[in-house]
Amino acid sequence: MSEPTQTPLVKPLKIAIIGNPNVGKSTIFNQLTGLNQKIGNYPGVTVDKKTGVMTHQGSTYEIIDLPGTYSLYPNSEDEIIAHRVLNQLSEVERPDYVLMVVDSLQVSRGLFLASQLIDLGLNLALVLNMADMAEKQRLEIKGYELFKSLGVPILSTDARGAKGIEQIRELIHQKNFSKSSEFLSVSEYLDTQILSDVKEKFEVKNDYQAYQILRFGLKDKGLSQEKRDWIANKLKSIHVDLPAAQLEETKLRYRKITGIIEKALNKKEIKERRSSAIDKIILHPVFGYLIFAAILLVMFQAIFAWASVPMDLIDGFFADLGAWVSTSLPDGPLTSLLADGIIPGIGGVVIFIPQIAMLFGFLAILEDTGYMSRVVFLMDRWMRPFGLHGKSIVPLVSGVACAIPGVMAARNIGNWKEKIITIMVTPLMSCSARLPVYIILIGLVVPNETVLGFVNMQALALLALYLLGVVGVLVTAFGLKNILKTAEKSFLMVELPSYRTPRWKDVVITMYNKSKTFVTEAGKVILAISVILWVLGSYGPPSKMDEIRAASELRLAEVNSDEEIETIEAETSSLLLENSFIGIMGRAIEPAIRPLGYDWKIGIALITSFAAREVFVSTIATIYSIGGDPEDDSTIREKLDSQINPVTGDKVFNKATAFSLMVFYAFAMQCMSTLAVVYRETKGWKWPLIQTVYMTVLAYVSALITYQIFS
Amino acid sequence: MTADLIPLSKSAIIKDIANSPLKINLMELGFLPGKTITLQHIAPMNGPMAFRLDETILALRKTEAALLDVQIL
Repeated sequence: MSEPTQTPLVKPLKIAIIGNPNVGKSTIFNQLTGLNQKIGNYPGVTVDKKTGVMTHQGSTYEIIDLPGTYSLYPNSEDEIIAHRVLNQLSEVERPDYVLMVVDSLQVSRGLFLASQLIDLGLNLALVLNMADMAEKQRLEIKGYELFKSLGVPILSTDARGAKGIEQIRELIHQKNFSKSSEFLSVSEYLDTQILSDVKEKFEVKNDYQAYQILRFGLKDKGLSQEKRDWIANKLKSIHVDLPAAQLEETKLRYRKITGIIEKALNKKEIKERRSSAIDKIILHPVFGYLIFAAILLVMFQAIFAWASVPMDLIDGFFADLGAWVSTSLPDGPLTSLLADGIIPGIGGVVIFIPQIAMLFGFLAILEDTGYMSRVVFLMDRWMRPFGLHGKSIVPLVSGVACAIPGVMAARNIGNWKEKIITIMVTPLMSCSARLPVYIILIGLVVPNETVLGFVNMQALALLALYLLGVVGVLVTAFGLKNILKTAEKSFLMVELPSYRTPRWKDVVITMYNKSKTFVTEAGKVILAISVILWVLGSYGPPSKMDEIRAASELRLAEVNSDEEIETIEAETSSLLLENSFIGIMGRAIEPAIRPLGYDWKIGIALITSFAAREVFVSTIATIYSIGGDPEDDSTIREKLDSQINPVTGDKVFNKATAFSLMVFYAFAMQCMSTLAVVYRETKGWKWPLIQTVYMTVLAYVSALITYQIFS
Repeated sequence: MTADLIPLSKSAIIKDIANSPLKINLMELGFLPGKTITLQHIAPMNGPMAFRLDETILALRKTEAALLDVQIL
């Protein structure tokens, strides 16, 4: 840093970036701010608030990346945010300047929004992005003509090739924005007299802003109740058809824009786009679906193969750290809290990062290449009968790896009902955390034989469990479709953008941001539940616990061989868990789970594995006092296979019990991280609670039926 | 006729848009009277339809395409 750093006396200037979807807005944002980004929340909605800091020649600027929108008419939560910020209704997010990004191949659609911004009286500059594409299409844009008609500064860039970014920085630094005169007067489509007291009430000077507030203010739940009531009353008292005025405004705006385009654009020839040739295959009624299936297969193969490496490392690291803490710190409740509660709790959050990052990496690539909207196009028809939207396919598919990124991806669905249904059913997809449970149980009861020459029975059982998840999704979605009511109309209007190579920097930033959001927002809840489970699992009635420990000390004093010590220690930890509060709870629920074929030991594992499904395996290992390496499946399997029910004399893990358990894990929520993410995405405890109760009941009933069939 | 009936790879000119809460959404995307649209793809089983409008491809469900009153060119 060559320049002396000064303490800023004033807050940095705020620059909002806005534009239609798919115009490269976020690329410009990423180029300007790098990793200097912050993800926050807007009050009242689930839209991410993306802000970043840009420094240029010693000055700093705050950049706000607004969600993409086609107009200021707010239909989705994303658009409500654009509406709120650009109408300067929120004190905190009021931008000083607005940078509008326009796709050079879509100038007229871009100018529609730009003309609305002009009419709001904003300090504006236009960026004509993807200039290279226009050149390839032999489309000439006369920047000066545009400038003459619009009256705001215009810059040409190619953000993918990072061309023109320096000019944008310079433009911001020079504050080269300007307010233009009105593009379309409100009086052309509305009697402006009705706006005078709106202007007074909301202290705005501009007719268009007053009209926007009157027309759409009620959609913005961020507005105070008093103001909303005022708008509602005002709407009742006037006898003007505002929706009709809005249609008229749209028509007039486009008419003016068409006039400008005729002067400013020079199309020499239209080449058949490369994309349409690709689309003949990608959108083919047969090959289209096969390609989609192939892409999914490659994606999951990669996630399972690659994510397991860092996940094992994280797992090992936190296990070692916990062991190190418990051996090097003096014994006591604080050490135990740290070693057995907090460290595994943090580990339980961090372990998900590889999957979340990779899944979002893949999704970002598919999105960025333009493929994702093709999938929406192909799948919409198959999703609709179940109350889902074409866009629901992304969360559902993600759910096969992990429900967390799946639920996080559901926010792109605009319709409230379709979004809630998607969030509710995504955790029913068979995620990777169910695999360890399935593998242990299938190994116990399904013979490793082939039938029909090539079909492996164990593989078949696993496939059946995955299909069971899909059936659960469809049935639940169908039920919810008939229960949930909404006045919102479901619709699909999606642009199929030109195919492009992904921008790797954007992909990496998405991976980073999504992981960070998960850790900071869901992490708190997960850590809290981990600590509660630790307390319940390590404490019990003190007299009983002391008795067990004393007895164990006595036995340990008498033996010498390592093997014997290990056996006694394993038995002690089993006894301690049995008599802890969780153990007591496990016994208490035994009458309830008896009909499913479970004993109280399994009951304990059900409770501890509420943290995460895979905990089932380690709890079972502890409770059946399986010493040695708990990661070694075959040890566990042998030990479990030898467990005999003292009452009946049968194996504890017989076919009926094992199948019943598998079905239970297929449907039960049993994942606090998912719960935490659903809480975050739905902004409250209502939906996560409904979901947990529903999934538990579904799991219980299905497991009951399964047990009765097989026993 | 309405746009959901346009045969594959045929073009039509938009005459009017039926009144519906979605009318404004269609208009802001650029579906305006006087514009030419070409049907490029249809997803199987009466799935969504992809129209070329100017330089873009836009997908609509049949129900939304039915809001566009068109004349085949």
